[in-house]
Amino acid sequence: MTSPKPRRQWPDWLAGYALLSPALLVMAATLAAPVIALFVLSFWSQTGFDIDRSFTLANYWKLIEPSSEPMVWMGIPFPFAYPVAAILMLKSLVMSLVATVVVIAMAYPMAYFLAFRVTRHKALWIILLTIPFWTSYLLRVFAWKIVLGYNGAINTGLKSLGIIEAPLEFLLYNPIAVMITLAHAWIAFTVLPIYVSLEKIDRSLLEAATDLGDSRWQRFWRVTLPLSAPGTIAAALLVFIPTVGDYVTPTLVGGPGGTMIGTLMQELFLRQDNAPLGAALAIVMMAIIAGIVALFLWAVGYSKMRERSR
Amino acid sequence: MLGKPSALFIYAIAFMIFLYGPVMLMPVFSLNDSTFATFPLKGFTTRHYASMLANTSMILSLKNSLVVGVIVSVTATAIGLPAAIALTRYRLPGGGPVLSAMMLPLVIPSIVIAVALLVIVLRFLHMNLSLWTVGAGHILLCIPFSMTVLMSRLEGFDKSLEEASRDLGENAWMTFVRVTLPLAAPGVISSLLLCFIISFDEFVVAFFLTGTENTLPVYLFSQLRFPNKLPGTLALGSAILLGSAILVVAADLLRKLGVQSAKPGDL
Amino acid sequence: MKRIQFIDRMAQGKMSRRQMLSQAGAFGVGLLSLPKLSAAAEVLTCMEWGGYDVAEYFQSYVDKHGAAPNFSIFSGEEDALAKVRAGFAADVMHPCNYSVGRFVSAKLAVEIDTSKLSNWKDIFPALQTADGVLVDGKVMMAPADWGNSSIAYRTDLVDDDFKKNESWGIFFDDKYAGKVSMLDNELLILIGAMVGGMPYDEAYKLTGAALTEAAKTWGEKGVKNSRFLWTDASELQQAMASGEVVAAYAWNDVVKNLTREGIPVTYAKPKEGYFTWFCGLTLLNTGKADPALAYDFIDAWLSPETGKTLIEGSGYGHANIKSFEAANPDDVKAMGILDPVEHMKSAILFKTPTDAVQNEQNKVWGELKALKQ
Repeated sequence: MTSPKPRRQWPDWLAGYALLSPALLVMAATLAAPVIALFVLSFWSQTGFDIDRSFTLANYWKLIEPSSEPMVWMGIPFPFAYPVAAILMLKSLVMSLVATVVVIAMAYPMAYFLAFRVTRHKALWIILLTIPFWTSYLLRVFAWKIVLGYNGAINTGLKSLGIIEAPLEFLLYNPIAVMITLAHAWIAFTVLPIYVSLEKIDRSLLEAATDLGDSRWQRFWRVTLPLSAPGTIAAALLVFIPTVGDYVTPTLVGGPGGTMIGTLMQELFLRQDNAPLGAALAIVMMAIIAGIVALFLWAVGYSKMRERSR
Repeated sequence: MLGKPSALFIYAIAFMIFLYGPVMLMPVFSLNDSTFATFPLKGFTTRHYASMLANTSMILSLKNSLVVGVIVSVTATAIGLPAAIALTRYRLPGGGPVLSAMMLPLVIPSIVIAVALLVIVLRFLHMNLSLWTVGAGHILLCIPFSMTVLMSRLEGFDKSLEEASRDLGENAWMTFVRVTLPLAAPGVISSLLLCFIISFDEFVVAFFLTGTENTLPVYLFSQLRFPNKLPGTLALGSAILLGSAILVVAADLLRKLGVQSAKPGDL
Repeated sequence: MKRIQFIDRMAQGKMSRRQMLSQAGAFGVGLLSLPKLSAAAEVLTCMEWGGYDVAEYFQSYVDKHGAAPNFSIFSGEEDALAKVRAGFAADVMHPCNYSVGRFVSAKLAVEIDTSKLSNWKDIFPALQTADGVLVDGKVMMAPADWGNSSIAYRTDLVDDDFKKNESWGIFFDDKYAGKVSMLDNELLILIGAMVGGMPYDEAYKLTGAALTEAAKTWGEKGVKNSRFLWTDASELQQAMASGEVVAAYAWNDVVKNLTREGIPVTYAKPKEGYFTWFCGLTLLNTGKADPALAYDFIDAWLSPETGKTLIEGSGYGHANIKSFEAANPDDVKAMGILDPVEHMKSAILFKTPTDAVQNEQNKVWGELKALKQ
């Protein structure tokens, strides 16, 4: 959008920030205020329908207050006076971690196929990948219930084949159902970024590896995988981060034990009328996720990886 | 890919079955003569489609969702593209923190964003709730996805192409149009698609930020109270599937009839 | 369309900067003036359950004013309350008895002047004075639709023992573990207490140690035995149709719908009692429209014509006694109601505890679910 002028008149950083400005403006308008509000709210307290605006750390203390009688959940002791938060946090982290690994493991070969094997109708394939997601999430979850349900597709199919006599009940309302549904829900969000990062790999590098006598697997391990790692990691984070706070899927297919940390937050904000505690919980959750992500990126050497793929 | 199908091809087909299998049950049960979506099937009927067409508020909410989705995906990508260029092409002091800030909407639970934005729109900006406010909220949610896709595309290319273009006397804008944009094309398309899906499917922010016009997810969630309406919504889901499939195939055919010459960097 | 042209021309670089600025300015002005236009009309704005925004439920309003009001639809009262508290300008809301108190405590609800409602005289007397219609002696909700909460069960899939002795105890009976489904609500704990012998009048205000105790004895068991805790009636109806769930906490419509599809289901009259819930219209002080419009809308909802539509269409009851005379007798019978007045008397009307107790019960219930292993 700059008018024709001799190039390099603007310093690099100024031009960069000029390009960033629309995004920064949008973020400032829509994100800054909620974040500040959330932060401030977490230091207030709720009394009935009113909010007491004097500064307090009580909300944070409630989340970590120790107790001499640890609550035992799944064999793990939680020595807190309000153990629900810690238990749900752990449960949510584990669930989304597993879901992320499953999603990436499923998505990567598909993205690879798209990038290297599809030569014609590439756009068609890509759009075909997204079409199921144009129907509402709610309807898709519902469809999964039809597949996994008591008189669902799998049970009816197995019964008519004579493999089982009574419907299998363990298909639905458990963590596995949650995994399958989450994997299905998030797969488009991972195939596309991985595809994009595979697509840009310079084909001559692959030819060079072959010329140097690498087998197909060696070539994959030494060239393709490392070069697509940044995109794959980014895709993994796109799944991991939001699913920690997700609560719709577990509620719908997870059965009575389907509660996650997002459910608790939702209840604190709406049903239990304790928005300040909810805000503190949200901030702690954000900090924990940010910490895990940072640790993970540091462990895999993400910044170096990005440099290399440049 | 000619000759014997490779293992990858078989995987891709299995993948597509996983993706479409459950979804294809929607058309099946939308034509089933029963209120309940359970086997065995009862018989053929089109009455659920009639009830879908009669449900004007549902059709209206579909239209609203389509409009919001298109505007959101275009806007978020238009905002995300220059930002992604800036963060991959320029040596920026503070680039890291800026990028982290842009990823923030991913971490904040949507209920928190929704309630906070609601208070801000009503109490501080004194605006009325409408599809515009929903759109603004969705753009915020889309930016991390748009940025991720675009940046992973742009990071791969060396600057020399763009520099060559500038050396040939093109100004920055023409360099962008002729070099950067074609290079970024797959990323741009992915970003548009992802953002459309996110907006089209989002419930929490849409519920809190909409006034008296509904988006489709808000409408569908509210319909759950009425079990008899379920087949009608399945019919709608099927119609959307069919409609989008036709659209995609038609677009592909048109493209083939149109420009034959494939430019490098084209999909 | 204009916007697309604008972007298109910008992309082609065919627009001078001045043109662009003026266009962008116009676009911005359009954006700002858009909401104001709708506000100027002062149309009545109602917060309504999705599906109730259809003219047949308030036909006389449409006849009188020529158009339906604006609707903001919701799927849960908490969400709606949060939205109104944040400042959303609605004139009328459609809450249920258990949440009216929260609107009153949040200082959002206004007393209803029943003399302005022509249909008020025909409302069931029990409903006119019910907890939730009256809050601190003032009418805060005009009751409109009501229904029951009892056990719906598959007559072909439960034992005769239960059929002879219908009881809420089925939710805590290991014989039916994984085959029953309770509503996702703290009511499960209270029902447990009732199975244990406590009358509802005491159970509804359970608090403190007694509440924790009931949650431990009954709540945990009930949650464990439930195949799922249902949140929407569609989900439940599917599960009962397939036989996955053989008995469930259910509203009238589930029984009606399943029966119509030829599935052998009946509605229990448990020995501990069955419940009646009711919803209605509450006037809000956040609205901008003329209150007379709101009264017309509420009165339309209370009319026997609306009641007839509701009874025949959904299988729910209506607050106006005359609705039951107007409706098709078969539909009334399908609801399991022989004498509406008698029916109303024999059921337990849900009561609302104080906000503090309600919050505590919510919290205990939330934690109970969260800690389920």
